[in-house]
Amino acid sequence: MVDLDELKGRFLNTEFASRDLQLQAEKLVTAAKASGESRSEFIDPCDENFQATPAYLCSISSGQHLPIDFPSLGGIPMDGGKAVERFAPVRPNVPMTVKAHLHDIYDKKGRSGRMIFIVVRTELFDSADTHLANIDSRLVVREKPDT
Amino acid sequence: MSVKTIEDVEFGVELPVFEPDTSLDNVGAFARAVGWGGARFESHEGAREEGFPGALVPGIMGMGFLTSAIHQWAPAGQVEHVDTVFRAPMLADTPAIISAVVTDIDEDEGIVELDMTVKNTKDETRVFGTAKVRLPLG
Repeated sequence: MVDLDELKGRFLNTEFASRDLQLQAEKLVTAAKASGESRSEFIDPCDENFQATPAYLCSISSGQHLPIDFPSLGGIPMDGGKAVERFAPVRPNVPMTVKAHLHDIYDKKGRSGRMIFIVVRTELFDSADTHLANIDSRLVVREKPDT
Repeated sequence: MSVKTIEDVEFGVELPVFEPDTSLDNVGAFARAVGWGGARFESHEGAREEGFPGALVPGIMGMGFLTSAIHQWAPAGQVEHVDTVFRAPMLADTPAIISAVVTDIDEDEGIVELDMTVKNTKDETRVFGTAKVRLPLG
């Protein structure tokens, strides 16, 4: 059985990936309209407050799911959910930096065994280092039983 | 009925009905826009070849449906935090039922908390979550 405290000590709160990106207005509009969004600030690039929807932000990643030396837990990680916390509008055509670290690791035990949850936090900053948003991705792994 | 300020919000009230477009074309458009284009989200046949019962609706599109419902209900509201759990796959071309209910109101800060679900027509929960929405003070 994997020792979660040991994993936390090795991996939590250590940046493991980063990259630069800029969002494209056209894609923000398409995703917003497909979601049923009707507010101008999300579907009209001419709106002075035009910005990405919370759901669009959840599509942003560092390009790497886990630290390169993170151990295999025996199963394929599944997408268990996403959360987004917004601190400032995220706009297109603005240079931004994405940084990723492991924010939490915890487990839940059931009759079918132990599920391990890994929360990858992706932070979004603009070129002035303003923290724009946090995006949390919960990866769920069903631990392979000891043989 | 929509709300303008925190004073318009009542505890326990359900948000108005929101009917999302889960058609394959629309799901495909969303998937391509977020960079996730491919058989899983754009083709029933292709998704079945990957072992799924049909083309999937991306989980974050479910989140998009929920936040759109919030924005429709509170046109001046800002979704500050939304947390969704992808409990089971949503299928394209299958109706989805969005529901949300007010679970807490902070009138001093102008913050409303909501519990939200996306269900299928069998009343099975596909996505659930919570949101914090900031509304103008009265």
